[in-house]
Amino acid sequence: MNYLELLRALLPETALVVGALLALTFDLSFGVRQSRETRLHAAVIIGTLAVVAAMFGALSAGVADAVFGGVLVLDELTLASRLGVLMLAWLTLTLTGGTARLRHPAEFVAIVLFATAGFTLMAAAQQLLVAFLALELASLSLYILAGFDKSRPESAEAALKYFLFGGMSAAFLLFGFSLIYGLTGSIELPQIAHQLARQGQSPLLSLALVMVLVAFGFKAAAAPFHLWAPDVYEGAPVVSSALIASASKLAGFTLFVRLLWPGFGPAAGSVATAAGSPGWLPLVACLSAASLLLGNFAALAQSNVRRLLAYSAIAHAGVMLLGVIVAGDAGLGPLFYYVFTYGLATIGAFAVIAVVERAGCCQKITDLAGLHRRSPLLAGCFAVYLLSLAGIPPLAGFFGKFTVFAAALNLGGLAGPAGWLALLAIALSAVALYYYLVMLKQALVVAPADPASAPVPVPADAAIVLVFTALLLVLLGLFPSVVLRIF
Amino acid sequence: MAQILFYAFALFTLACAVGVVVNKNAVNAAMCLLLSLVGVAGLFVQLDAYLLAFLLLLVYAGAVVALFLFIVMLLDMKDTAAHGFRKISGFASVFALGLLVTGVSTFVVRGRLTTPNPNLAAAVGTDLKHYAYQLFTTYLLPVQVIGFLLLIAMLGVIVLSKRWEGLDDIK
Repeated sequence: MNYLELLRALLPETALVVGALLALTFDLSFGVRQSRETRLHAAVIIGTLAVVAAMFGALSAGVADAVFGGVLVLDELTLASRLGVLMLAWLTLTLTGGTARLRHPAEFVAIVLFATAGFTLMAAAQQLLVAFLALELASLSLYILAGFDKSRPESAEAALKYFLFGGMSAAFLLFGFSLIYGLTGSIELPQIAHQLARQGQSPLLSLALVMVLVAFGFKAAAAPFHLWAPDVYEGAPVVSSALIASASKLAGFTLFVRLLWPGFGPAAGSVATAAGSPGWLPLVACLSAASLLLGNFAALAQSNVRRLLAYSAIAHAGVMLLGVIVAGDAGLGPLFYYVFTYGLATIGAFAVIAVVERAGCCQKITDLAGLHRRSPLLAGCFAVYLLSLAGIPPLAGFFGKFTVFAAALNLGGLAGPAGWLALLAIALSAVALYYYLVMLKQALVVAPADPASAPVPVPADAAIVLVFTALLLVLLGLFPSVVLRIF
Repeated sequence: MAQILFYAFALFTLACAVGVVVNKNAVNAAMCLLLSLVGVAGLFVQLDAYLLAFLLLLVYAGAVVALFLFIVMLLDMKDTAAHGFRKISGFASVFALGLLVTGVSTFVVRGRLTTPNPNLAAAVGTDLKHYAYQLFTTYLLPVQVIGFLLLIAMLGVIVLSKRWEGLDDIK
């Protein structure tokens, strides 16, 4: 037992938690007489410093094997995922400073930091107990963030739905974990993999895997466990939605891909050929197909921007699950690249919504009409995000889709479900392009409903987020190997 | 003897669990939950897991169910009790029962429910001292994380339940 080693591996979490406590203390001691604006900016500055310190912590923790008897693992995936999560959290915090009007600014920033600590711990966890607790640390923070806006009943509804679904899925996950522990006698992933390889398939193992996948489906917002997503994306404060849609996704996929491949890899089965073999891969393929179909077709019927983004998130979860399927063969590069660039584009889209909502109401797609006149910066960045989500070259979204589909087709060609899923996803990309273009048409072509409508003011903080994410999406699209070479 | 005790406790637990679902009065349902937990604690005692049985009684039967009762009495849930079951919940329960029967029969027919090798599970020990030692050395990190979990829950309760005078002061 080497506690110093543990502390070194947990430097990012320590920085984030200390930052959260500092933000609270500072607000309680100096913020009492200040205006809400000043308190928000003070909290955001402390939070940003904590996130930057956590980035340095993650870099200095470096790459090592199992830490503290296998509780944590610091491999390339941990490092990349931690840095990605921290960057997305930084963008969320900056956006909070620019657009949010909160009644408890310091508490909001503190809970965002706690959630980020949960995400970074999820990225490193290698033991079922720590994995579950990290997941709960993040989830509990996100429930609170979803219900933070007490002046809107939709926010409370979103928080309640998210909490009830989340609690249910946590119960499933814990039941699955306890069955796995009962089968293998260990809560550490390497030993579990060793035991599973020795034991082979059994009904109890299938039951455990189904339960773990239910929780995975909830975290990824994959159909049929997606019911919370539209209400949460629509009802929660915009910055909370941005965090839930981006950093939480990245951390969740990192955790579950680590559970599934290195942990339950011997029980994976196969989807490369039509006959396949039983395991969790066929189940993930079913989830993926259901998400692709439901997400893309349900998005067509939406008139609310945030609900549309939620259904498109479900469709993207389908592609990400395909990325999980190919991770065993093609490595983690395609999946990580896809989820990270998806997070960037989503956070950008939510930044646009946040700025527009700040200037007036924006719930319907038609409210975006004439955005190119009212704010060229917003309209231009919005085009970059949506085209990246739709997968138009040379943006990052195109390359993400391309690598995932290529890897899926490499698995077994068109002989098995993996290839069929890739074909389905390619076909449904055309459907997705339609609803993204409907939004873009409103923003870029349609004239404003009221010709004299005032320009939308863009706060400096929000402008940083917009320009940074748009630039990064273009650069990562041009040089994808920067990320792919990490793995 | 052990067999008889096991079946007695198991039947008692299941009967009380059914009582939780069927009871229309929320207070009675909570009391059934308490008895069901006592039954589970009895099963733990039979497995020589005395500490676990004690914790179950202390934390769940003691604290959690008492909280349930508090909340039930605070909310005064008489209205909801009168509604009974609707048609849709009847269909849902029949569907769920079908799934359950299919699942269990699959286990019975195809299952080779091998008992896992008891040597696999590293015995943490049933005595409190050994347990506490493990908790603060091997499982130090989870304990810390739970500490922060409680802090977040507290923050959340304060933020979400604090009453504010002017609700439109920030609009």
